[in-house]
Amino acid sequence: MSGALDADQAALNVVANNVANANTSGYTEETPDWQQNAAITVNGVSTGDGVSETGATSQRDRVLEERLDQQQQLASSSSTRLAALQDVQALFTPDSGSSSSTAGDIGSDITKFFDSFSSLEANPTNDALRQDVLSTASTLSGDISNAAASLNSQRAALDQEATGVATQVNSLTSALAQLNQQIQSTSPDGDAGTLEDQRQQDLSQLSQLIGINQVTTENNGLSITTTSGQTLVSEGQSNQLTTGTVNGVTDIFLGGADITSQLASGGGQLGGYLTARDTDIPNALSSLDQLAYDISTSVNAQNNSGTDLNGTTGTVANPLYIFNEPTQVSGSAAGMSVVMTDPDQIAAAGAGDGTGDNSNATALAGLASQTIVSGQTPANFYSNFVTELGATISGVQSENTAQNASVTQLQTQNNALSSVNLNDEASAMTTFERSYQAASQVFTMLNTIMASALNLGEQTTVS
Amino acid sequence: MKKGTPMMFAAGAQPLTPELRELVGEATRSLARLDADRLEELAVSCRALNRSPLLFDPQKRMELAHQAHEAAGDMAVFARVLEATRTNLKVIKRLREMRSGRLEYREQPETAKCALVLIEGGNGND
Repeated sequence: MSGALDADQAALNVVANNVANANTSGYTEETPDWQQNAAITVNGVSTGDGVSETGATSQRDRVLEERLDQQQQLASSSSTRLAALQDVQALFTPDSGSSSSTAGDIGSDITKFFDSFSSLEANPTNDALRQDVLSTASTLSGDISNAAASLNSQRAALDQEATGVATQVNSLTSALAQLNQQIQSTSPDGDAGTLEDQRQQDLSQLSQLIGINQVTTENNGLSITTTSGQTLVSEGQSNQLTTGTVNGVTDIFLGGADITSQLASGGGQLGGYLTARDTDIPNALSSLDQLAYDISTSVNAQNNSGTDLNGTTGTVANPLYIFNEPTQVSGSAAGMSVVMTDPDQIAAAGAGDGTGDNSNATALAGLASQTIVSGQTPANFYSNFVTELGATISGVQSENTAQNASVTQLQTQNNALSSVNLNDEASAMTTFERSYQAASQVFTMLNTIMASALNLGEQTTVS
Repeated sequence: MKKGTPMMFAAGAQPLTPELRELVGEATRSLARLDADRLEELAVSCRALNRSPLLFDPQKRMELAHQAHEAAGDMAVFARVLEATRTNLKVIKRLREMRSGRLEYREQPETAKCALVLIEGGNGND
């Protein structure tokens, strides 16, 4: 009987511990473990097969926690990437109501630049109109080169953030290796209680930073790899990430191998930073470079083929260039500038025609409607670039919303498992199933309503 | 109301309530926080909307078509959340199956550990 009372007392201590830690972050509720006592046999009659309390087991579920960690990695990656993309988008948002020149005005800059040639057509010898061509060219090139400079600055900032995350990863993997050692030496066969809570907290933090896989090993140990398989922690030992500069950015190495591209697709903040740094911003820069290159070379070639106000036609040795002539696409945006200082050098007249002729000004103005930038007009190319950027952001936003919703669901389920009794857990499971079934019905019905509405709407509109 | 005037722009017209986009957003949020009661209410609302005689009104159809265009992006998000929920539910179900399987079929050790989880095996919750 006293054994049972002792067991009850020990169980109460576990409950008291749960209550005391109710608000402790990362604490997992423990339940008492009971061990059946050996029966006492007196004169062939067995009596007393009571129980003893043998310890406590945390109500954790590694599989669920791992699924939660994986979803957090994805959500964290898309949140980080989304923030970076929104910074890029802000750069290309038209500057309403301000006269200052910004990257967001590139679309209108293009229109104004080519419109200035249209104005010059009407009066090709007018000094003010010639000056206006150089002025609008300067605004356009300034906005494009500033946009490229801003993108490069954003890229450098992301580079620093990625390096900082790598340092945090190293700190956490070291801590996890130490915890593994402690857990394996103190609780090789059972739940390690608070140590395991600490390990789970560290794993959750690590999941925010980098995409990982977890592998349970002998004696309650844990190995952690990146999602592409490189070992970060092998039980009591951690492998540190190192950094090095490659092509102007910081690459991340593990054991001498450059794993930057694998980390970019692996998830976590690091994945988000690296994707934005190595894919999204380079894509935006590449589009700007193409725009700058094709406008500069096309306008220069056309101006060079005409006759300026001094009666001069451009030559290879003495070209009549308005913009700095780029030698390659890469870097064209950052290097775009106006090199012509004398407005008289604008070749409004055709080759061999008198200086009062306007045929080349007409040709220069006509470049606005020619497909000179990757098979598109300059304005359309820029407009499509901004639209594609918006579509990318919208896609990442959707992804992020869904991933965060998934994390919320798993946290709810994890809390049900870790923090309430088993009946409540079963109830939480039922709620989960009800939610899914009801949501499926809602989705199906909304889909039907929307599909039929769109069809009916189109029919009504057509008729 | 004048013939041919889209209802959404007509003064004093009774709009379809709620807007499709709000409905989709509300369903997504409710699913994220596993609010089964709210989702079941929304299912009832959608069923009612689907059967609404208002939908036979050509102008209402126009309005609904406009709303459907507006809600297309939100619907894509809802689909993603639904897909994530399905995967999560699969994970949770398998976990429970694993646990119940272990409890029902595991050989009892000599000194049986009677952790509280064993109690669940006999109370019909699984």
